[in-house]
Amino acid sequence: MAEAPALRAAVDAGERTAIGAHRLLAGTFMLLALAFAASAGATGDTFFFRLATEALIFAGLAMSVDLLLGYTGLLSLGQALFFGFGAYVSGLVLKHVAPSFWAAVGITLLASLAAGLVAGIISIRARGVYFALITFGLAQVAFKVVFNTREIGGSDGIIGIPQIKVEFGLFSVDTQSPAGFFLVTLAFIMLLYAVCAYLTQTPFGRTLMAVRTNESRVAFLGYSPWRAKLAAFVAAAVVAALSGSLYPMLRGLVSPELLAFQTSGNAVIMMIIGGVGTLAGALYGSVLLTVLKSVFGTFTEHHLIIIGGLFMLSVIFFPKGLAGYALPRLERWLERRAAAGP
Amino acid sequence: MQFVYGPQVVNGLAIGVAVILMALGLTIIFGLLDVINMAHGEFYALGAYLAVTLVAKGASFWLCLALVPVVMAAIGYFAERALIQRVFHSRDRHILTLLLTFGLAIIAEDAFKLAYGPNPYKPESPIAGASEVLGITLPNYRLFLIVAGAAIIVAVWLVVYRTSLGAMVRAAAFDRHMASSLGVPVEKVYAGTFAFGVALAGLSGVLLAPIYSVFPTMGKDFILMAFSVVIVGGMGSIKGAVIAGLVLTQIQSISSLYISPVWGEPLVFGIMVLFLLVRPQGLAGRLGHG
Amino acid sequence: MHKLKLYAAVAAVFLAGPVQAQSSTIKIGVVTPLTGTYAGIGQQVKWGIDLAVKEINDKGGILGRKVETIYEDEEANPNVAVQKAEKLFQVSKVDFLTGTVNSGSTLAVGQVAERNQRLAATTVSYSDTITGAQCSPNMFRVNAKAGMQSEALAEWLVKQKPGGTVYFLGPDYEMGRSTVAAFKEAITKRGLKTAGETYAPLDNKDYSPFFGQIRAAKPQVFYTSVAGNDTVRLFSQMSEYGLTKGMIIVGAAGTITGQNLAAVGKAAEGFVTGVGYTTEIDTPENSKFVADFKAMWKTDPDLFGVDSYGVVYFYKAAVEKAGGTDTDKVRAAMRGLEWQTPQGKKTMRAGDHQAILDMYAVKIQGGKFTIAGKVPGAAAVGPDTCTKF
Repeated sequence: MAEAPALRAAVDAGERTAIGAHRLLAGTFMLLALAFAASAGATGDTFFFRLATEALIFAGLAMSVDLLLGYTGLLSLGQALFFGFGAYVSGLVLKHVAPSFWAAVGITLLASLAAGLVAGIISIRARGVYFALITFGLAQVAFKVVFNTREIGGSDGIIGIPQIKVEFGLFSVDTQSPAGFFLVTLAFIMLLYAVCAYLTQTPFGRTLMAVRTNESRVAFLGYSPWRAKLAAFVAAAVVAALSGSLYPMLRGLVSPELLAFQTSGNAVIMMIIGGVGTLAGALYGSVLLTVLKSVFGTFTEHHLIIIGGLFMLSVIFFPKGLAGYALPRLERWLERRAAAGP
Repeated sequence: MQFVYGPQVVNGLAIGVAVILMALGLTIIFGLLDVINMAHGEFYALGAYLAVTLVAKGASFWLCLALVPVVMAAIGYFAERALIQRVFHSRDRHILTLLLTFGLAIIAEDAFKLAYGPNPYKPESPIAGASEVLGITLPNYRLFLIVAGAAIIVAVWLVVYRTSLGAMVRAAAFDRHMASSLGVPVEKVYAGTFAFGVALAGLSGVLLAPIYSVFPTMGKDFILMAFSVVIVGGMGSIKGAVIAGLVLTQIQSISSLYISPVWGEPLVFGIMVLFLLVRPQGLAGRLGHG
Repeated sequence: MHKLKLYAAVAAVFLAGPVQAQSSTIKIGVVTPLTGTYAGIGQQVKWGIDLAVKEINDKGGILGRKVETIYEDEEANPNVAVQKAEKLFQVSKVDFLTGTVNSGSTLAVGQVAERNQRLAATTVSYSDTITGAQCSPNMFRVNAKAGMQSEALAEWLVKQKPGGTVYFLGPDYEMGRSTVAAFKEAITKRGLKTAGETYAPLDNKDYSPFFGQIRAAKPQVFYTSVAGNDTVRLFSQMSEYGLTKGMIIVGAAGTITGQNLAAVGKAAEGFVTGVGYTTEIDTPENSKFVADFKAMWKTDPDLFGVDSYGVVYFYKAAVEKAGGTDTDKVRAAMRGLEWQTPQGKKTMRAGDHQAILDMYAVKIQGGKFTIAGKVPGAAAVGPDTCTKF
């Protein structure tokens, strides 16, 4: 077996290139975002900063959908449930408990862990399309509950969520400041990305991908697919909820539409256009969809036909999305560099 | 007692027939093609809109009933070959077809608004008046619906289980390669089955238009109920869809006496979740398998 | 890469146009649902505003400046409305905003207006809380609120069936419940009684499960606050089951409008509502307005169209009185302002930014909205419950 160490080395090298390509993609995104911040800040802009912040917040939701589909093979059609849940918890905390960023985020974290656990135990027993339908239905029911509960605003939602200062000890950032909050959100979402990306590179992440490829085999290898899927579900729920928790800080309101199918559907579209199974793809996809909607929406009231059409074309001809197109090229570039190097 | 439960049961029956017709197309498409048709509601809407157009040109309601399913079948056949076939052979077929039909649904709703405007239409009910049976009032058109619906369900069952065409369909569902090697034109059978399911949806659209009216977002009306019926009944099972359709609509109808009607649908959904956890194959299993 | 190019393209699109024309036109932003369930209402809003703007521009504009309108689709979603409102304020630099339909969007846009130190108005939302508990110093309402509609209808009803029994059926959401509550209050203080109430889900398909309860209650009057497609279903199904016989059917102003009248058809005959407008109002101003509207859009105007037409003139009058578009001066000018509309004279109450207008009881006869009664604005408007300014 003289090939074994060489084989092992080749596999490791391949993995390092793949991880490197992902890092490049995410890093590029970060750089572009910072460049945007610099130019928008120079012109004293408000709207585009807030629009970009919103795109980042929804990118977090798209990432959570990707975590489930791209890595665990589970399509969630109701991830907006946790996103909206996080938004409402955060909004209610800010308005009625304490106008504190850390309180809102912290309580959302704990609440979403619990909610994710409960929903996960119900949902993950189902596979494939059944899972999609359960998540779809759960989100619909949650939407109805929120829509009809007047104590949390009912169909009108909640306005009057105060603008706060995000305290970082030595300095603080006002959520009212477009540039400031954009940077806070960018850091927050990239942190979430980093955590998710790290998770996918651990043995846990490998178990997830094994589950995605061939679930029944995983059990024979001594791992519990049930536990892996539940963990992934809870992780995705937390990511979605934490992203959602930033929304009321940006807009000062929450409404039941944050849990509606349209929100879940948009996240799926972002993920597909950006590239399933890449995590970074969700970031690009969200920005792209936000810009497309904004631009098309100004010119025509039939923007849905255009976006639906682009989405269908993407599914048929570019199922790997933007990132799926870019990553192999980045990998080859890295390999050439490594080969040409010292 | 009958005056309290009676009307609820009878009304539930009329609603049940409507839901079953919707679920039938869905379950046949899933049972054979393994395709979750997220655009099924939009085909239902398209059938209703076609009827509106035909009626505006002077056609009678009965002519619509005969013509619309034929047109819908053609549209369904074309859709299957042009769109679904493209992603059918990929490894992620389930997800891709779900996403594809989801994209189609987004486009369809806006397309309806573009073509017909945002306001609702309502074709005249072809059978006016109501009858009183055992103290329960039921509009004559709903009686017709129950009878016609039952006839359609029986016809579908007969076609699938008692004709050679149906046998080909079931064979292709059970074992595609074997059926193909036995001379069954599998690609055509797949497209034809999708067309059939779509035609059923369109027919439901025509039948229900006089009581539920026609507007661009109507495709979303039945989604949750239809999927619940399909899952509880068993994906691919006609018998299951009928039983589940009747039972679930009865539960929803009678429950409105005890709990606020807003929670009727979530209740049905809860039952669906229960089935998914405890008996995922539903009441009766899969097309081709039982 | 993609992001930078797209940002550049988008920026070019937005900044190229408006920047040059900035100080010479007055810009009105309209955030209204152009897609989704309320698209029909959004269409009337657009028609009303476009007609008014054309008339004003033909006569020289406001203070010699032309009026420009910029539309954005809010999809009846407050989250989208907020984003588009901010775009209109920040990028298009509109001086004034209007067009929201559902109360959630109106409340949200009011908040955006406050944060941008500009003014906004609604021409459709009739939830009482918008000029009540959740009033905003930057949000005005030119249309009648639910309480006013209820007063007009109840006044008519008490003359038809004094001491009668009323059954309520509303859609189960904020607007539906509060409209039912407003009417219940209006009839109770006039001596009528409640026979029962029930709430159906929004977008409910089949109302037949409710008919048993309704029959059992044997009410003399049936009140509903459903709207749009739900109305078509409720009324045609009630008619199917013969439930409409022997009952007076009344409802909210938004229940039967130009958008769904054709679909409701014969089942609408005899329906009465309390509303601030009907094309049958017999004044020269209204006749001219209806004729012009029909000539331009080939459809009759309804309450949404006329109120949206009126809001442009409201803004014009305020700007002229204030001598410019400065927010604080215009707000001060708007408070207590009287202006002419096809519905007659309207007064903007300073205390809560609610317009006072004459209300009508309107009955559908032969497919037309005929006038069956009238209540003067001052009597219908109710007390000022806004405490925020």
